[in-house]
This record gives sequence, C-alpha cells and structure tokens, in this order.
Amino acid sequence: MKLNKSCHIYGLFHQPMKIGSVLIFLLLFMVQLAQAQQESSPDYMRSVGKIYVVAGVTLIILITILIYLVIMDRKISRLEKRQKNE
Amino acid sequence: MQNANQPAKPSSLALWKWAAILILIYVFIAGWFVPLKPGIIGVSPDKTVAGDQVVLTVQGYNTYFMKDPDQIRAWLRLTGDTVIKALRVEVVDDRHLKAAFYIPSVLPVRQDAYPMTLILDQPSEGSSVLPNALFISPASETDSAEMALWFKEKIGNIHQQAGMRYPFRNILAETIRNTYFHVPMWFAMIILFGISAWYSLRYYRHGSLRDDVISSAFVRVGLIFGLLGLVTGMLWAKYTWNEYWSWDVKQNMSAIALLIYAAFMVLRTSVEDEMQRARLSAGYNMFAFVLLIPLLFIIPRMTDSLHPGNGGNPAMGGEDLDNTMRMVFYPAVIGWILLGIWISQLAYRVDLLKRNS
Repeated sequence: MKLNKSCHIYGLFHQPMKIGSVLIFLLLFMVQLAQAQQESSPDYMRSVGKIYVVAGVTLIILITILIYLVIMDRKISRLEKRQKNE
Repeated sequence: MQNANQPAKPSSLALWKWAAILILIYVFIAGWFVPLKPGIIGVSPDKTVAGDQVVLTVQGYNTYFMKDPDQIRAWLRLTGDTVIKALRVEVVDDRHLKAAFYIPSVLPVRQDAYPMTLILDQPSEGSSVLPNALFISPASETDSAEMALWFKEKIGNIHQQAGMRYPFRNILAETIRNTYFHVPMWFAMIILFGISAWYSLRYYRHGSLRDDVISSAFVRVGLIFGLLGLVTGMLWAKYTWNEYWSWDVKQNMSAIALLIYAAFMVLRTSVEDEMQRARLSAGYNMFAFVLLIPLLFIIPRMTDSLHPGNGGNPAMGGEDLDNTMRMVFYPAVIGWILLGIWISQLAYRVDLLKRNS
C-alpha cells in the first residue's frame, strides 16, 4: 500500500480511529446545536407541527447505525491486518 | 489479496437485502412526504361564560379554508348528543377562521368542568376535531328554552377527505410519522432476540460453537435496536408527554428488558473458557427471551400507562393507525426487521472470520 505513505488523507483513514474522540466530537456538536436552538426559539422543536421531533428520531437512528458500521469497519481492518502479518 | 486463479468477481447481493433497501427507501419517502390531514391547532379564547355569545378564532394546520369558505360548518360538542352549531363562520385566510357560537345559559349535564370539542367540516378538505377547545363556566339559571338549544342541532353529513393523507391527531401532529421509525425498532429488537434465542437452543442441541457466536451477534444488534427504540421514544415523549422519562410502566419495563440483555453481554466477557461461556450464555439467553414477554407485553397492560396499546390507553388502531398508515407501517416493520437481520449477519460473519483466522 504505497498510497498510504504518499497521501496524508488516505493515511488518516487507515489509522485506527479513536472511537472515543469521535463520540466526544459528536457530543460537543450536538450540545452546540441544542444551544443554538435554544437561543433562537424555545419552541423550535414544537414548530411546524413538531416535525423536528421526527427529524430528530430519524437522525438518532441514522447516526447510531453509522457509528455501528464504523466500529465494525475497524474490526474488519484489524482482522485484515492480522491476516496479512501471518 | 485475492488468489490469482480466481477472478475478482463481486458476489451478488441476496434478494432479501435488495428488498430491505427498496422497502426502507419507500418507508422514508412515504413516511416523510405524505402530508397530514387538516387539523386544528388552537382556539382563542379558550374559556367563556354560559349564556353569552362567543367568537372563536380558530387556527388550522394544513387547512385550506379559502377553497370553499361558504360551506364550512362548525359545532361545539359537550357530550354525545349535546351539540351547538355555529351561528356563522367567517374565513380569514387558509389557516384562520372565526366562528360565532351562542352558549346556552343552562348546561344539560352536571360536571366538574365543561370542556367542549370543536368540530369543523369542509366539503373539499374533510373534517377536523379539537378536543377540549373551549371551557365553559356555568351560569346558575334554569330555563327550558335555553336547555332545548343543546339538542336542536345534530352533527351530520361529515365529509371525509379522499387521497393519501395521514390522520391529524391532537398533540401528536406531525410526530405521528414516528410510527414508522420508533415502533419498528422494537419489532426488530424482538425478532433479533428471538433469532438469538433460537440459535441458543440450537447450541444446546448440537453443541456447535458457531451457533453461540451467531447468537451473541444477534443479541448485540438487537440491543442496539432496543436502545434506539428507547432513545427515540424518549425524544418523542419529551414533546408529547412533556418529559423525556415519565417513569411510565412501558418505559421502565423496556429499560429493565434492555438491562437484562446488557448484563448478558457483560456476562459473556467475564467467562474465559469458550465452552463454558457458550453453555452459560445459551441458558441465560433463552431465559432472557422468555422474560421479554411479561416485561413488554403483560406488565404494561396491567396498570395505567401513557403509551398506546397499554393499560388505560387504546391499542394501535382507529385514528392512531388508519388504513393509509398501515400501507407504510407494515412495510416499515418488515424493512427494519430485514435491516436488523442484515446488520446481525455482518456482525456474526466478522466474528466467525475472527474465530477461524
């Protein structure tokens, strides 16, 4: 894999990503989002027939499934690495 | 890397996985974009004294009052038969109208409070209802002529809106769409735990460690779906029951069910010996699945619950799940279950590879 050494961006994704840091980043992002909403309007989630509750529910499902995919991806990468070393 | 003798051919995706993709695309599109039927969000004023005329300003949702402004009729209903028809209805714009009522000075029944249900009917858009729209303070008089006003009018010739629309439910409003996302999470969880219990049983019969690996992968993914059900339910509850966690039986019991399965995962990591771990977790897993039935289906039905389909609350049906919603809800259940099985399959395939390598 020559590509890894020559290109920083590819290298970044092949390093074992720290799930903890990803989660913390997500959490910070969500807190920021929640604060931004509170400042603009206290009833944001209830506006337009509470449609943002549905948006929230679908986002939660999507993000969780994506996080699970990332975890599984890392597991497979580790397996591949071990297989290559053997 | 692949063997040079074998051409690198991408293996085709199983048919049921394509079905899962197509069904979920349909569910997302129909679930998000089919509009709601018209509804009433609010009425002002919301209190008045009996024996006086009141002009209600009605705020509609998804309504088109301007379509046929002269044919809109309005009623206030106290109980089944006691109804007052609006003296006149004036349309302001598509979303607002003013309805004038004369509230008789004598009330036909004796109650602690007199909440009135507002009913609107429009030929082109159908009818809409707002319970507890107006509260009446009684005036202490007796007058049989006034009493007769309550029984003069009947609600009749109500129009139904044609076309694919979801029902507008008071308090729920657009969140009725969560039926296609929150509810199937639990269906998927139960099916995944069921498959897992089946593989545990298979492990007992054949003693193959492969069944144990598969069983644990299904529990792991089922737990994720259960957690999703719990978290999405909490968000929904915040904007309909007013609290993320109301200590409702349904919430408590489903949290306990998830904790039992979380304990299962902890138990598995704590046992070093493979065979011992497999035997122990197969027994625990079947026990946990049997426990799901009282926790999710029996106990919540025995006491009062805010959750639909449980004690003191009607089951899914009627206006909460009409035939239009069934056209999306049943595919949603199938689609999310298939996705759950798919993810579990990926999970156990990785685990099996790890074991064999």
